[in-house]
Amino acid sequence: MQPQLILAAGDPSSTNIWAIANTPFLWFCALGVFAVIFIQTILYSRAAKVAAPHVNMPARELKESFRAGAVASIGPSLAVVFVAIALLALFGTPAVLVRIGLIGSVSAETGSANIAAVSMGATLGGVDYTQQVFAVALVAMSLSGAMWMLSTLILTPIMKKGGKSLAKRNPAVMALIPTAALLGAFSALTIAELPKSSIHMILVAVSAASMGLCLLLAKVLHAKWLKEWALGISIAIAITAGYFLHTAA
Amino acid sequence: MSTPTINLTSADASMARFEKQTTRYGSLTMTAGLIFSLIGPIYLVFFSGLQIAPSMIWVAFLAVAATFGVLWIVEPVTYFPILGSAAMYQAFMIGNISNKLLPAAIVAQSSIGAKPGTKRGDLAAVMAICGAATVHLTSLLLFVGVLGTWLVSQVPAEVIDVARLYILPSLMGAVLVQSIVAMKSLRPTIIAIVLALLMNFVVLPAAPAVAMFATALVVIASILVSWVLRDRKALVATTED
Repeated sequence: MQPQLILAAGDPSSTNIWAIANTPFLWFCALGVFAVIFIQTILYSRAAKVAAPHVNMPARELKESFRAGAVASIGPSLAVVFVAIALLALFGTPAVLVRIGLIGSVSAETGSANIAAVSMGATLGGVDYTQQVFAVALVAMSLSGAMWMLSTLILTPIMKKGGKSLAKRNPAVMALIPTAALLGAFSALTIAELPKSSIHMILVAVSAASMGLCLLLAKVLHAKWLKEWALGISIAIAITAGYFLHTAA
Repeated sequence: MSTPTINLTSADASMARFEKQTTRYGSLTMTAGLIFSLIGPIYLVFFSGLQIAPSMIWVAFLAVAATFGVLWIVEPVTYFPILGSAAMYQAFMIGNISNKLLPAAIVAQSSIGAKPGTKRGDLAAVMAICGAATVHLTSLLLFVGVLGTWLVSQVPAEVIDVARLYILPSLMGAVLVQSIVAMKSLRPTIIAIVLALLMNFVVLPAAPAVAMFATALVVIASILVSWVLRDRKALVATTED
């Protein structure tokens, strides 16, 4: 199949994000990532099938493991799907599929995109969110994701050889740095929403309260599914509130 | 390369071969995934007439690197002991490790009664992640790729505009609470929030030019202050949820 290499007629100042975000070439790349993971899955299953008889593991157990993993991931996958659909308007389908659905996580990727937009003096999703800003945001997300993959590619063989990892050598630093970094990043990104408008301020509160309530209910009711769906539910509640506040204003 | 004692250690030898194979397949497929994930944006930068200057990319990348750079290295190091080398190449391409892949692996191991870290446990985990990947790819393609795209095209434009305008506050409030609960560390939480408030309501109004690196500065300051003010008595435990 020949990919359609039509040069996208981009307009740097246009705010029609979908026109550029759903370009055939981006679709081709997204499907490429899907194909690569499918191929990886097939190769890994085959390698496991070859190895299993030698460790006294019947083929039946391999199948059972595959099925257990598949069933266990239905809930979390649909929860990711729900969040991904909410972000379609912002990034278009191919970018959402690759960045939010696969390689990255919704928080890190949206964070990267937001930081990139701010570095250009624009707001993600705002009136100055142009095709140019979208492209730079996508580059930033992709480069950040690429660094994650690159360090996995480089570090995995090293950690396999060297028994003692950094995590064992200095557990206190290893626990504190990522915790502080994540909390710092998400606090900064969240609180930066507050001064934008009174609606923004209310929505941050609504979203945070919904998440708090979901997590509390999940704990009280021992409902694991609610924990998985908490992010999707919170976004849905907040965005609905946003729609009514916006149309009422 | 064959050893004469192959029969005695047939299990070990076949696991060694499995490791070798998955390392090769894993690193090759991950490299391919890396390339596919990069050529899209590269194409946008060079061939779509969006007039993107190299400096825009450098500044954006530096701002992102200063914020998430630590995690690029820390995350693979953290997950390696749990996932093992074979699953590392799966996990960092499929994503959603802690909320989907790890639970799937644990469920599979317990359903066949294999302990984690054993040979059976490792193979069960890899097969479970294969199962999870199959479900995840299919549901993404179907529900986001096909259904989602159609859905968004049916929704009136003004609703989409509102969604685009307010998705960030609607997402970030929940993400912040989720990470606070997951991290379970009070001190760094308070430090991070205080620093973020200072940045947005004191520093930025006085020096708007800092905006470009505001998040990065809060991250770096959070790490430093959390380290200086760390609880020296308590045992620090990693709480990945």
